[in-house]
Amino acid sequence: MSTGFATALGEITLVLFTTLAPSGALAFVLMGAALLREQGEARVRINRFLIVPIFVSLIGLVASATHLGNPDNALYVFTQVGHSPLSNEVFAAVVFMGLAGVYWLYQFADRANSRVQRAWLVVAMVSAVAFVAAVAFAYAGRTIVTWNTPFVPVALCLNALVGGPVLAVAGLHAANWEPAARGFGRTMVAASGVALAVNVAVYAVQGMDLARMANAVGSAAALVPQYPAMVVLFAALCAVGLAMAGVPLFRRAELSRRRAAAAAALVYAGIFVMRFAFYMMHMTSGISL
Amino acid sequence: MAQYGFHFDGTLCTGCKTCVLACKDVKDLPSDIAFRNVYEYGGGTWMQDASGAWTTDAFTYHVSVSCNHCDVPACLGKCPQGAISKDDETGIVTSDPEKCIGCGTCATVCPYGAPKVDKETQKSVKCDLCADRVAAGKVPICVEACPLRALDFGEIEELRAKYGEVAAVAPLPDASETQPNLVITEPVGARPAGDAAGAVMNEREIA
Repeated sequence: MSTGFATALGEITLVLFTTLAPSGALAFVLMGAALLREQGEARVRINRFLIVPIFVSLIGLVASATHLGNPDNALYVFTQVGHSPLSNEVFAAVVFMGLAGVYWLYQFADRANSRVQRAWLVVAMVSAVAFVAAVAFAYAGRTIVTWNTPFVPVALCLNALVGGPVLAVAGLHAANWEPAARGFGRTMVAASGVALAVNVAVYAVQGMDLARMANAVGSAAALVPQYPAMVVLFAALCAVGLAMAGVPLFRRAELSRRRAAAAAALVYAGIFVMRFAFYMMHMTSGISL
Repeated sequence: MAQYGFHFDGTLCTGCKTCVLACKDVKDLPSDIAFRNVYEYGGGTWMQDASGAWTTDAFTYHVSVSCNHCDVPACLGKCPQGAISKDDETGIVTSDPEKCIGCGTCATVCPYGAPKVDKETQKSVKCDLCADRVAAGKVPICVEACPLRALDFGEIEELRAKYGEVAAVAPLPDASETQPNLVITEPVGARPAGDAAGAVMNEREIA
């Protein structure tokens, strides 16, 4: 049998989607939380730069739409909300993107009502969290043995917790929000680091769990032969990314915007590796991989 | 309502794949898609005893499988479009090309590998139990074509009364997962679902 490389390559748009969108959604929540504490000029700037996480999530969503063979009548997807976990995922994505997008546009209204803005932002933040949960459980089901484990949703949420804070730092820093280069930035990088440590541990346990999985056509170990190496690569890319942002922050030195953005990109590259591994390991309980 | 299903007699099947080809012919399927597949499941080893004599526990048998029009179809449950439905009158599970967006979720979740995405039309396609033939009082073409009479078709309750309740042997998944409307007369040397001793020996023949 062959490895799952071709499977994952065939689903590359979903790899991208699940890499970008959950972290983007969490970065939106974190930037929103910063915004809610601010008034005046800082608030205006953060509002503008909320486009960063929205855009990152949107790229993911657009990527995921391209994997559809034939998007005619795609709106039927909303008829299955509550029945199909994938419908729930798409619905949650559309609600989040809609709320976040309209929120972002509303700031340019001539007389934007700040109370409406606040309430709208909070609702959009809640929808972002719901969206991450919906992605985590998109493939919940008994027939795909390698995906039907607690590690899958936990790892997806941890991915968001690793990637979200660094993107939030990059976005807030770009918005010239002072605390992003100081205490808030340090807290975010530290939180991401803790999430990374837990995430690596979860992947390690998942790897041991995968070793026992096989069906009549193949084994999970054969589908993802480089699984341990991929976990190491994930850990390394994310750690280097976090160090890039963390070292200047903790040394109380200047963190450049470019460096903050590069740090986020490296962390995303790490997450991408494990999302790729996820699609490689697809295997049913029966006679299909 | 009736629920139709298949019976597969593993003691008769020789693995000739006439069922596969008859289906491909009638349904006019491309080379990379088959609605029915014949799996060759085998395994075993050679052992040498103290006196140097060799013995073997090698085994192999065939299982012909299509869509089993399950009571709890994973494809239907996971389709985000509601494109897959189960007919009230016959229990036949079909995919509506009008609603299908070709996302491939049905193919991803089915443990029998039954639905496929047609690369040309970018739509999900699957066995419809020859619904038009059945409506005309005939049997599905795979059943009619089998030269060994290893396949049978009918109301699942009648098939179970006639042939028993077995619905899974290796390499098929445990029947509790999707509750397939399939009855199997176990082939000689049949291994239970979930068996790890053997493997599918003809992976490249499966479409």
